[in-house]
Parts: sequence; structure tokens; C-alpha cells
Amino acid sequence: MFAGAFVVWEIWAGAEESFLAPQASEVLARAWEMWPTRAFLTEVAGSLKQLAAGFVIGAAIGIAIGLVMGTSLAARRALDPLIELARATPPIAIVPALLLTLGFGDSMRIAVIAFGVCFPVLINTVEGVRSVSPEARDTASMLHVGRAERVFRIYLPAALPSIVAGLRVALSIGLVLVVISEFAGEGGGLGHYILDQQGQFAYPEMYAGILFLGLLGYGLNLLFRFAERRVLAWHYGAAGERAR
Amino acid sequence: MSGLGKRYSTHGPAALTGVTFDVERGELLALVGPSGCGKTTLLRLLCGLTSPTEGTVLLDGRPVTKPPREVALVFQDYSRSLFPWLTVIRNVMFPLRRVGLSRAGKIERAEAVLGEMGLHGVARKYPWELSGGMQQRVAIARALVSRPELLLLDEPFASVDALTRAELQDVLLRVHRDVEGRRVTIVHVTHDIDEAVYLADRVLVLSPGPGRVASSVEIGLPRPRTQTVTRSSTRFLDVRNAIHDVISAQQRSTITTSFEKE
Repeated sequence: MFAGAFVVWEIWAGAEESFLAPQASEVLARAWEMWPTRAFLTEVAGSLKQLAAGFVIGAAIGIAIGLVMGTSLAARRALDPLIELARATPPIAIVPALLLTLGFGDSMRIAVIAFGVCFPVLINTVEGVRSVSPEARDTASMLHVGRAERVFRIYLPAALPSIVAGLRVALSIGLVLVVISEFAGEGGGLGHYILDQQGQFAYPEMYAGILFLGLLGYGLNLLFRFAERRVLAWHYGAAGERAR
Repeated sequence: MSGLGKRYSTHGPAALTGVTFDVERGELLALVGPSGCGKTTLLRLLCGLTSPTEGTVLLDGRPVTKPPREVALVFQDYSRSLFPWLTVIRNVMFPLRRVGLSRAGKIERAEAVLGEMGLHGVARKYPWELSGGMQQRVAIARALVSRPELLLLDEPFASVDALTRAELQDVLLRVHRDVEGRRVTIVHVTHDIDEAVYLADRVLVLSPGPGRVASSVEIGLPRPRTQTVTRSSTRFLDVRNAIHDVISAQQRSTITTSFEKE
């Protein structure tokens, strides 16, 4: 499939004979030269660092607020309209505002990613906590599980499958926002690299950068699924058992 | 407990009214009644999960306002009450998390109770890897591990097949006789009259709308009981038929009353 796509690209770009559309072989050759270089790896590491920081902060905020909203009806009622509005706002729209307040640097980029990551995680956490069965709640009462303990021993593990589903959505949103925030801000990163190469008319390099971004997203997803299978082994087992 | 009543909303109908009974230490009391007679509500009052709107529940003379340490509850739906993210042994150890025992001591105690339930070699499995009957045994083990004085069971065998139910009934009889050398007081809610007669020292028949105690029947069958001998004795059949009569008489009168109202 991949090979077929590259062949089509190669033939089409060959027929175009334009420097705007470099051939697949050229892009691949450039990508092959590029990836082991220190400069390039620094860009990738920069993007990953932003993504990791934004993802962790956003997920932590999402889970924390989600747990509060999931366990307290008052908190849910108070926060729901605000959350609905905020999550309907495309994260890209807050970039100009964040540029004003946080500048062009890392903190702005991390904030954009965290903002985008936060909501899917938050919504899924609330749903997960609310789906805890009355029997499980009663069991917790009978076993004298206190309020704080209940959050960590009952609600969090019970909501985990739902939270992880939110994190998976958040990961792809995060990846989009890394690139966008790098387009808007200053400093390194793969997104910035792509824009830079475009500005310098280095189109094979630009396409190579895009290719690497795709690979990065693909790799991160694989990694995520692997981690998910391990953390939620009990859940998939139980769900499989129910499905039979 | 005395004059126990429960109304879920101030203007709504009472779920229970004027329910008064005592449970003797070491007794196995069964509560039977048609659905909607407030069996589960009564059980929730007994274990302090809900508080009564009239009357009080007394445990050894002290009013029950929140779940007491000495009381354990087993639900009908084991798959929802066992924690699916914990292995069997961790589920059973859960109530011991604040008991002053070493980890090894807790594991030992949990394994001992699992053994009493006839569960061997399942400690590291997850609940969903076990059959329904075995899961309910795990749930009973978790209830017993903290050595409760009073064990409450809410239709515990309603969601397993008939053969497993008979097995679990005998497990419960064994629990009642002796767990780790102690006798446990048991209140067992069921809608299965035969089960109630087979297990209990005494059966309370509840009647619906609003729930109240219609009749208290001493079973007087000798122990130890077995599925074959006990269930075929004339005493078993007599008591069982008597309870059936009480319940069907009530249902007739309830139907008459609702006709008269219209």
C-alpha cells in the first residue's frame, strides 16, 4: 500500500517536472540523510518535549476537575456551562490570546496543547466516574472507604477505561496542536522546521518533515495502545467475558 | 429494631411501616416477600446505608446511623460489587487495608477465608475469570474476612443457576455454623421460599404496600441440614406450604383492597 502510494507520487511528480512537487525518491533520500543528524533530532526532541509537557499538564487538569465534577453534583452543576463553552472553543482560537499573555515561547505552546488535551480527558473522566455502579458505591460505604480514599481506590480505577479513551483522543489533538503552536511561536520543533523549509524553498526537506510528523504520530499511537493494553488488561478481560 | 419505617419522600408512599423485629445472636433469619415489599430497603436500613424516617435500628443496644464495623453485606450482583480491577486476593484483602496486620498476615487471612469458601488456586485470578458461583463465593469471602458479627445478604443467589444455588446455600449453612471457629448471625433476604425454609432458623414474611411484617415463622428443622434429607422431610413441606399460604392470602387481600379503592 505504502509502496503503491510512493510509486503514484513518483510518477505524478515526475510528470509535473516542477520544483514545487519533488519526487518521492528525492524526499525519501533527503529524509534518510536527515534523520540521524543532530540538528534534526533536536527538532524532534523539541516537539516531543512540548507535547509531553502539554499532554501531562492537560491530562492532570482534566482528570482532577473531572473527578471533582464526577463526584460532586454541586460542582457539576456549577462548572458544566463553563466547560461546555470552553470545549466548544477550538484550541487554535486561543493562540492569539496566549501569544499576548505568555509570549511566543515554550509556555504559550505548552498552554495551547494542555488546553486542547484537557477537555476530552475531563469529559471522559466525568462520564467514567458517573458510571460507577450503585453497588460499587454501597460496597465502598460498607467497607468504610472515606471520601478521599474513595476517589483513588474506587472512582479512579473504575473510571480508568473511560479516562484512557479520553487520553487517546487527546493524544491526536495534542499532536495537531504541537504543530500549530510551532507554526505560531518561536523556537524549534518539527512544525517549525516544516514551515522554515517551506520559507527557504527547500521543498524536499519540507515533505520529509511532514513524513516524519506522520511517522511520529503513528509511533506515539502504537506506544499508547501498548501502554493501554497493559494498564487496562483487567478491563479488556472483563469486557470480553461480558460479551460472551 | 423497633417501629421501623421508611418513606423515600415526605409526601410519597411509605416503603416500610411499623416494622419491628429482633435478631438473636447466632440466628439465621430469612426475610421473604414478594417484590416491592421493601426487603431491600429493610436490609439497607439494617446496615446503615440509608437511615429510617421512623423508628431506629439497634445493634447491641446502640443505634445504627452509619455502616457499623461489625456488619458486612453481600449483594445480589457480585459482578458489580466485586472490584474488577483487583485480583481475587486483593478484593478479599480490601476490607483489611486498615487492620494492623503485616501484608503477609493479610494475605494469609484472606487465603484462609477463600479456603473456607472452597476456593483454591484462584487468588491471583481476576473475578471475571471465575464462574458466577465462584464470584459470589469471593464476595462472601470478602464480607467475612473482617470477621463481622452480622452478615447481611441481599438475594445473594438470585443470579446463579439452580445447581450453583444449592451449592451456595450449603456454603452459607457452613458459614453460619462456623467460620474460623465463630458463629455468625445472618440476615438473608430472598424471594425463594424454599431457600428461606431450608436455610433459616426463622422466616419473616413481609407484605407489600407499605412493607410490614406479616408473619414470623419458626422453622424448627434439625441441623445440620442437607439438600436431600431436609427438603424431603414433612416438616419442611408443612412450613413451606404454610408460608406460601400466608403470602397468597396477602396477595388476595391486596388485590381486593385495590379493587375496593376503585
